[in-house]
Amino acid sequence: MLIYLGRRLNLLVITLLILCIASYILAFLVPGDPLINLSGNPSPSADQSAQLRLMYALDQGYVAGFWQYLKLTLAGNWGLSLTSQNPVFQDILQFLPASLELSFYAMLISLLVGLPLGIMAGLKHRKFADMGILSVSLMGFSVPVFWLALLLILIFALQWGMLPISGRLSLLYEVPHQSGFMLIDILLADISDKSAVLNDAIRHLVLPTLSLSIVTSALVIRLTRRSVINVMSSDYIKAAYAKGLSHAQVFWRHGMKNALLPIMPQLAMQFTVLLTNAMIIEVIFSWPGIGEWLIQAIYQRDFPAIRGGMLAVSSLVVIFTIAVDIIIRLIYPLSKRQFHAQV
Amino acid sequence: MPLLDIKNLTLEIDTALGWVKALDKINLSIDSKEVRALVGESGSGKSLIVKSIVGALPDRWRVTADRMNWKGRDLLSMSDTQRRNITRNEMSVVLQNPTTTLDPSATLGEQIGESIPDSMLDKGWFWQRRAQRHTIAMQQLHKVGIRNHELCLSSYPHQLPDDVCQKFAIAMALVSDPKLLIADNPTMGMETTTKIQVLRLLAKLNKTRGLSILFVSHDLLAISAMADTMTVLYCGQTVESGRMSQIKRRPLHPYTQALLDSAPSFRRDLPPKAALSCLEGTIPTLQHLPIGCRLGPRCPRAQKDCVKMPAVRRIHDHHYACHFPLHRDKP
Repeated sequence: MLIYLGRRLNLLVITLLILCIASYILAFLVPGDPLINLSGNPSPSADQSAQLRLMYALDQGYVAGFWQYLKLTLAGNWGLSLTSQNPVFQDILQFLPASLELSFYAMLISLLVGLPLGIMAGLKHRKFADMGILSVSLMGFSVPVFWLALLLILIFALQWGMLPISGRLSLLYEVPHQSGFMLIDILLADISDKSAVLNDAIRHLVLPTLSLSIVTSALVIRLTRRSVINVMSSDYIKAAYAKGLSHAQVFWRHGMKNALLPIMPQLAMQFTVLLTNAMIIEVIFSWPGIGEWLIQAIYQRDFPAIRGGMLAVSSLVVIFTIAVDIIIRLIYPLSKRQFHAQV
Repeated sequence: MPLLDIKNLTLEIDTALGWVKALDKINLSIDSKEVRALVGESGSGKSLIVKSIVGALPDRWRVTADRMNWKGRDLLSMSDTQRRNITRNEMSVVLQNPTTTLDPSATLGEQIGESIPDSMLDKGWFWQRRAQRHTIAMQQLHKVGIRNHELCLSSYPHQLPDDVCQKFAIAMALVSDPKLLIADNPTMGMETTTKIQVLRLLAKLNKTRGLSILFVSHDLLAISAMADTMTVLYCGQTVESGRMSQIKRRPLHPYTQALLDSAPSFRRDLPPKAALSCLEGTIPTLQHLPIGCRLGPRCPRAQKDCVKMPAVRRIHDHHYACHFPLHRDKP
């Protein structure tokens, strides 16, 4: 286990280091002065410029410069945004939770919908229910996310007026920023009319979450179904039937665990797909998350922000993936045979 | 009355080329306290018979039989629950290849615990049952020759060597104290000493507890010592069945003759570098089954009539299915 943990941590550190190197190189590759790209100060005076050059160790070669950059990055000094002149790291801390919240709820819903449907389809292999679920999931799988989001807005928000079109919370309410997760913030905040605010926040969440989770649910259904079919046709399930166990006993004791545990990493991978989809959704729903922030930064050629956003999102994905890997290792005995990381 | 009585069991498999009869009119019966050997080369459908008896086949495959009775009750027409009760309490099976038939994500202790029926535990509180199951499992493991029971019970199948898994599978089958043990190649991959130990255990259980055994194997040497009766299978058809001693002394079917000849012999007068006798060719695949007697293309005595399926003929309790059996003169 210790060797395993060491290997995974090793992988984590090296991947993050490579990401840092990539983001450092980015500062030199994109147009403009590397000093401005790194610091985010658009027009430094001669005095400031000399100070910044010293701070980023630009005159001492790339290796020393990267070492300095690494130290600053770890200390949370990611430069200023070119457009707003806010510290990039603070901006990311403020916007990332909104994206995470959206992706998390979407993931939860896709698992809640996808796993039972996938298991059902897998157990009724080649029956009517299987075909039905499969074709619905194929449809959900093939629909482009942005088109689906627009369609949902058109129907539920514009035509029926049931749900709000965009945003995270109605302008009437003001919730102080604490954790960044809206529902938690509302519960923590000391405001009057808490239930009304909560209700409003949930109504804002419905459409983005729905349009995100449909694609992921379809993926989860397909993964689960395939795994359940494979497991149910395996020898040990037949042996369990031969022992004289009932369908329910066979399924719950032998089928479930073997079907779901191996696909856990793949399911967790869906979270990263979700995060990328969430960026598109955020733009459509004007959701104040990292995706919208990053796309604005790209429009405005705000290179410090692009660099920071890229680093933050990719580190998040890497950390999440490796954390899931370690958790699965703890609960799935068969994975104990593998020492090397799998992609 | 025989314990298990199967008449004309046919198993059809849906392949790309249509339905194929993987088992064609199999007859098999096992009396109580009988050890019956089921012999045939690989691919002859031995394991399929075992799986169709315990009902561990995919739903898509068609199983039909004129008669498939367990103590006079029809297995095919009874409800799932009734059939499960029989396989749970009276019949046990050791399937081939323990590494794939044991659940990879459960410890062996959990798996053997499942096989112990509640009726074997004396009345106690529910928290005492766990300990009782453990004791029963432990005793059974000792019987099949696993000494380090703690390690075995707390391990996952992939952590143990194959022969230990194989012995464990036998222990798991015997733990519910069945009337009939169906053992599909139970000594596969074992060392000779452990093999003898397991065979001796089975023979002892047969003598003392009256356990009937359907012993599926292609190891003729191991079988001939303990089996009373034998059924020979070729390519999904029963070719000959009868008392072991009778078949060994005077086989009637050319295939049985070839099978017996192919067992390595250790006669003194064997000339050095003598060729091992065997039939020409290999067993046909399911997609290219010959019509009539399936041995036809390989049979040394085959004639024109062999394209028709021979009827089962009988001399006392010795059954065979051949147009030109060995006891008649050369045609």
